[in-house]
Amino acid sequence: MKRILHYSLFLTLLSLVATSCVNDDTDFDDIIAQYQMEPAEIKLDYSELTEAADVPVTDENDSAYNDYVENSPWNKIIYITFGGPSPVVEGTVPGVAVQTNGNHVTVMNISGPVKFVVSGRTTDGSLKFYGDKRFQLLLNGAEITNPHGAAINNQGSKSMYVVLAEGSVNRLQDGTFYTMVDEEDQKAALFSEGQIIFSGKGQLDVIAEGRGGIRSDDYIRIRPGVKINVYSSALDGLRANDGIIVDGGAVNVATTGAGAKGVRSGGEMTINGGRLVAISQGDTRLGANDDGDSDTTACAALVCDTLLTVNAGVVKLKATGDGGKGLNAKQNVIVNDGHFQAVATGTKEMKKPKGVKIDGSFYIKGGYFYSYSRRSDPLDVAGATSIAPGYITYQLTAKLLTIAY
Amino acid sequence: MGRSQRNQLTALLLLVLAAIIPTPSHADDAGLVLSAGVSHKFSKKLSVGAEAEFRSRNDFRTAERVSLGADASYKFLPWLKASAGYVLLFDNNREEITYQDDGVNYNNWRPSYWGVRHRFNVSLTGSYKIQRVELSLRERWQYTYRPSKVIDNFDFDEAMWEDHEVRGKGKNVLRSRLQVEWDIPKCKFDPFANVEFYTRSGLDKTRMHLGVNHTIKKKHSFQAFYRYQIVNSSSDTEGDIHMLGLGYTYKF
Repeated sequence: MKRILHYSLFLTLLSLVATSCVNDDTDFDDIIAQYQMEPAEIKLDYSELTEAADVPVTDENDSAYNDYVENSPWNKIIYITFGGPSPVVEGTVPGVAVQTNGNHVTVMNISGPVKFVVSGRTTDGSLKFYGDKRFQLLLNGAEITNPHGAAINNQGSKSMYVVLAEGSVNRLQDGTFYTMVDEEDQKAALFSEGQIIFSGKGQLDVIAEGRGGIRSDDYIRIRPGVKINVYSSALDGLRANDGIIVDGGAVNVATTGAGAKGVRSGGEMTINGGRLVAISQGDTRLGANDDGDSDTTACAALVCDTLLTVNAGVVKLKATGDGGKGLNAKQNVIVNDGHFQAVATGTKEMKKPKGVKIDGSFYIKGGYFYSYSRRSDPLDVAGATSIAPGYITYQLTAKLLTIAY
Repeated sequence: MGRSQRNQLTALLLLVLAAIIPTPSHADDAGLVLSAGVSHKFSKKLSVGAEAEFRSRNDFRTAERVSLGADASYKFLPWLKASAGYVLLFDNNREEITYQDDGVNYNNWRPSYWGVRHRFNVSLTGSYKIQRVELSLRERWQYTYRPSKVIDNFDFDEAMWEDHEVRGKGKNVLRSRLQVEWDIPKCKFDPFANVEFYTRSGLDKTRMHLGVNHTIKKKHSFQAFYRYQIVNSSSDTEGDIHMLGLGYTYKF
């Protein structure tokens, strides 16, 4: 009996020890899998884009009427061809003076709508326009590098229609250091005080090393058919003070500068079609504010200071630097349709990286919305969030938000 | 000791226990302590021993510690004993979770891991007998050294596993144990109760035991006890725990 008791006790103890093999850790498997989920791949996209026909506005009362190059007469033409010690300038137009200094060309236009057809290559040249008259700049295989400033600089406040000749590849590049002119801005490799309207079926590559890539102190409109690639290692890639309208086209923007934005719109930004891919790789910039206090500026693939509306098209945004945002919207964001993706994979040493940060409210009524933040919440909305019923996918995890209609 | 004295002592013992043992909480853990050892008396004054111990936690389901130790004790006086010992500890360190400043989002997760520690101790035990009741006070200085070890850590900010070095460090603790043991006539079981305080800069931990010793033919010694441990230090990863213990010592 005693032996049985001893054996029973021994077996009881043995089984207690043997069953003490359960791990008492919190089960983080699912959560870690969410955290380690790789985001959707976003990279510059050079593939052909099939777009609907670009139908110009013909109603003169339409506010966009003047944005269509087709609605102005272009019978006054001047040809500027680079390729030698100085460009060949052909054609004369009363009221238009063309001066050359080597391959640096200055145009004074007080005539009216004039079409400038630019082609050829220069490694130390530029085009500068004066005069408050709208003009067309038809780039037909132009390759302009200005080591001392902007490659193209429009000091006039009227529309600059940049038309990319069908099948042409054009290239504009600035220098690391700009030689400034008193009381004149030159904020980018392609700069305009007035609005810039891109159209045509060619390609434009802009390389910015000193300042921004493309910048307007007014607004920018991009029409279907164009291919624009902007690579900036200094400041913002594509920027407009008063707004950006993307009706179409294939646009790639890549920035690597600290604090630089891929695309920045100071006014309303509306995307009606096309494909916009913006990748910001820079880290947060440490500087000083107007009061001299230290200040930090984070990167973003897209910054919109007022209303951002996505009606159609494809928008892909990625920020990889410290504190970088995919989208940093200062006011409301409305997604009516289209395909929107934003990814933030940067560190958060100085600023918090976020896939989408909206200081206003967020409304989604259709399309596809995807936001991923490796090191914070995928969607940060200060105001209200309104998701219209009818979606077929709503997935929210620690790092990812997907809404699809 | 007369019957009335015995009853009074029993009542006193129960009152002391009732006072020191708090009401168990449902959040408290439960575990097991199993030990087996040998001891040898070289003389009436000098003895040496060795012991292996196993502990569990998480309601008996998770192994917490395996240890191997040896000690020697010397009786300077019939009422004063000194001892010294060394224990090699293999600990299953509990997981550690830290949160962001918002207190909601995770910051880091360090899963549980097995690590080694070395423990040295020296003790002085004074005892006093009142008829069949022995009161003893043991003061033990204990030094434990944890060598550095590189372990896995999941950083939720970085969304990645990274190596985390648990730095080597030593810890000094003063353990003060007050014990009452009762030698009941014609009974093979000797009950005991004690309370032990672990002190560093403040009170770190309190342990209370209630148990019995049972010896067969002076060679086989068994001990069974209930332990309740209260952790006071917020920096300690241990929690309050109820434990059942069984021990066996072979004396030769």
